Amino acid sequence: MKSARLLVIGWFFQLKMLSRSSFNGILGILYPLFFATVAFLMYRAGSPNALLYASLGASVMGVWSAVSTSAGSAMQRERWQGTLELLVSAPAHFSLVMLPVTVAMSTIGLYSMAATLLWGWLLFGIDLHVAHPLLFCVSIVVTVVSIGVTGFLMAVAFVRYRTAWALGNLFEYPVWLVAGFLVPISLFPGWVRPISWLLAPTWGMNAIRESALGGTPLPDVGLCAAIGVGCLVLGIAVTGTVLRSARARATLALT
Amino acid sequence: MAAIEAHELRRTYRTSIGVFRRRTLEVEAVRGVSFEVPEGELFGLLGPNGAGKTTTIKMLITLLIPTAGSARVLGFDVVKDAREVRKRIGYVFGGERGLYERLSGLDNLRYFAELYAVPPRNQRPRIEELLELVGLRGREKERVEGYSRGMRQRLHIARGLLHDPPVVFLDEPTIGVDPVGARELRSTIASLTQAGKTVLLTTHYMFEADELCDRIAVINKGEIVAEGTPRNLKEIVADRTVIEIEAFGIDDTAVERLRSAPGVTSVSVEEREQAQVLLVQSAKGLELTQTLLGLLNGATIGRVVAREPTLEDAYVALVGEA
Amino acid sequence: MTSARVFLIGGVMSFRALFNWLSPWIYVPTMLVSPVFQILLFAYIGRAARVQSDKFYVIGNALQYTAIPCVFAMSHTIAGERFQQTLGYILVTPARRIPLFVGRSLPVVVNGALTSAFALALGGAILGIHVPVSALAPLALTIVLCAASCTGLGLLSAAIGFLVRETATLNNIVFGVLLIFCGVNVSLDDLPGWMSTLAQGLPLTHGIEAARKLADGASLSYVAGLIGAEALVGLLYGLAGYALLRALELQSRVHATLERA
Repeated sequence: MKSARLLVIGWFFQLKMLSRSSFNGILGILYPLFFATVAFLMYRAGSPNALLYASLGASVMGVWSAVSTSAGSAMQRERWQGTLELLVSAPAHFSLVMLPVTVAMSTIGLYSMAATLLWGWLLFGIDLHVAHPLLFCVSIVVTVVSIGVTGFLMAVAFVRYRTAWALGNLFEYPVWLVAGFLVPISLFPGWVRPISWLLAPTWGMNAIRESALGGTPLPDVGLCAAIGVGCLVLGIAVTGTVLRSARARATLALT
Repeated sequence: MAAIEAHELRRTYRTSIGVFRRRTLEVEAVRGVSFEVPEGELFGLLGPNGAGKTTTIKMLITLLIPTAGSARVLGFDVVKDAREVRKRIGYVFGGERGLYERLSGLDNLRYFAELYAVPPRNQRPRIEELLELVGLRGREKERVEGYSRGMRQRLHIARGLLHDPPVVFLDEPTIGVDPVGARELRSTIASLTQAGKTVLLTTHYMFEADELCDRIAVINKGEIVAEGTPRNLKEIVADRTVIEIEAFGIDDTAVERLRSAPGVTSVSVEEREQAQVLLVQSAKGLELTQTLLGLLNGATIGRVVAREPTLEDAYVALVGEA
Repeated sequence: MTSARVFLIGGVMSFRALFNWLSPWIYVPTMLVSPVFQILLFAYIGRAARVQSDKFYVIGNALQYTAIPCVFAMSHTIAGERFQQTLGYILVTPARRIPLFVGRSLPVVVNGALTSAFALALGGAILGIHVPVSALAPLALTIVLCAASCTGLGLLSAAIGFLVRETATLNNIVFGVLLIFCGVNVSLDDLPGWMSTLAQGLPLTHGIEAARKLADGASLSYVAGLIGAEALVGLLYGLAGYALLRALELQSRVHATLERA
């Protein structure tokens, strides 16, 4: 199918470009690692059994950060490069063009994921035994893709804001907190939980944990994917509106 | 059916100025532009900066929605059938931007080939063919960030032709390219119409327009002020003579004096390093040279030439006398 | 210009430069929302790990977050000058350096202290912690002191930024180091020996400890030693930064490297 091919090839080339940019690379790995280290120190002091739980959670933090800090300004960047016009005037549907950009960002987050797990193992002796390896991999893939799709929604929703990067940053900590990366959601007041449930990363995180610690990850995988699809549909709708408006009002400065 | 049809295209921009008391300004960039380009023609759109050329092109390639009027490309409306239009057009613009710096030239082409739905089977041969055509064979694996201006330009053209579009829009394609490279590019452009494509070209280089275009429209301040073959346009000024005066240190008052001299229809000034070249148009037959030199009394004069008008002079006459 | 005017006007100029961050779209997320979420994040981890009280984390993180407005902004101000190529002009003025730089630091300190105080108040309110009324004024003092201390570190970071190109990475690392070492989320007793020793030489360590004691009802005189230590540490970093800037300025006059991007 043409669309599938376009998505994969787009993703491949975006990934190539991101890998060649050293700027975000080191920081993208280091920053979540600082927070992970503190969390490990805290859990080690209080409840060492929870270290594996924390390690898995901390590893996904980097995937979210990779997206939240840069997805919002993805379209801005295309505009500065002068390529936005070309993308819009291509016959392919704009979502098929933009989606690979943000999914590539979340894919780069895998470096951070690996680094965090390695760090936990090296410095804190956190052994990673995975109960269901295949489902573990599936869970990771679904989580990464759905976080990428969430980034796509952010990219098209924030396109009007010149300070999109700050808006993206706004979502970094809250999602770390509410998606239950480092803290069980059961600890939050009741009214917070529906918010957690609406976020794809929450279910992705559950799925990763269940498949590592030996549970039933499939329902979580399903929910993560479903919410991802929801974000995709919403993103496509927003794209249509945004582009129509931009062409009518010449506000996107496509020119 | 014409390949490109524009009917009374209009485009207004709204901008707001001021921080505290915002006022909206409406600027009408394109005011009722109409023209038709039959299939297989190489059509030139000429005009000064800000005349509305780029806005017109952007409307034709579906990036802007016209405020009024309509346009069709190969029969498809640019607003309602945007997708169909996009499948059939190639767009090439000048400048450094518009390419992915961190990818190689080849990767850029592969990516855009996918975006423009070039069938996978055809991608490789097509890319190789185009690299050969634009003279980038052997440099395609290097990253674009290392490309010279001319190389980028050539890559742009290759990109615009990937999906073999029947209609190609070229926005100042040879700008910034060295003379030899530009000559090659021009023969490439000429070959496009030989292959049956329709080309709409904007350029500032008059000799280029003269050499390449079957027909030309001159646009100024949002309106078409003349349309025809290069010869037609030259006829506008056929009854004129152009006197080229090379001078040093001419100021605006001197130029004004020349403008108000009897018989002079227009004066334009070209800056060339140390000197200026004044191009004075007047009716044929008037022997104005002495008068003009007299008015420039005090300035240092170099060469003085009286000659037949070129397309460039026609252009100057059209946009300078607005 | 008299030193006093240099101090004040320079300060206002610096604040305006800082005001790139004053667009509400940037200020609100960065200075108001994020610190509160950092507090909540660690407070909840604390609850899950069952280590310390909420109050421990609220105070620790509220004070640590001053690193963002203070270290980043100070570093940014100096780097920004260099970017706009005005640094050379400033350093060339006959104005005395100390009022100049202190003037530039003042808005940064004020902004940092306000950010911290806001986060402390809001985070504390959300989590329901109580602070005795008598502790409010000493706490305010401690907050200002921590902000000043971080600003001193920011000055040093700015100076180092001249040598290292990647100031953003540098500052993020500083933020991370402060987060891990200064007893922000892990009490110094729970840290390995070498870490708690290192922490003594960092800003925030003493200030945070003092603030916690104050919030538990200690008197100002009781924590005077800690406050003094914090002030000293901050001052030393500030002086180091200032000295390095002067040294670089001198060196740049010889090698014309000041404006090198």
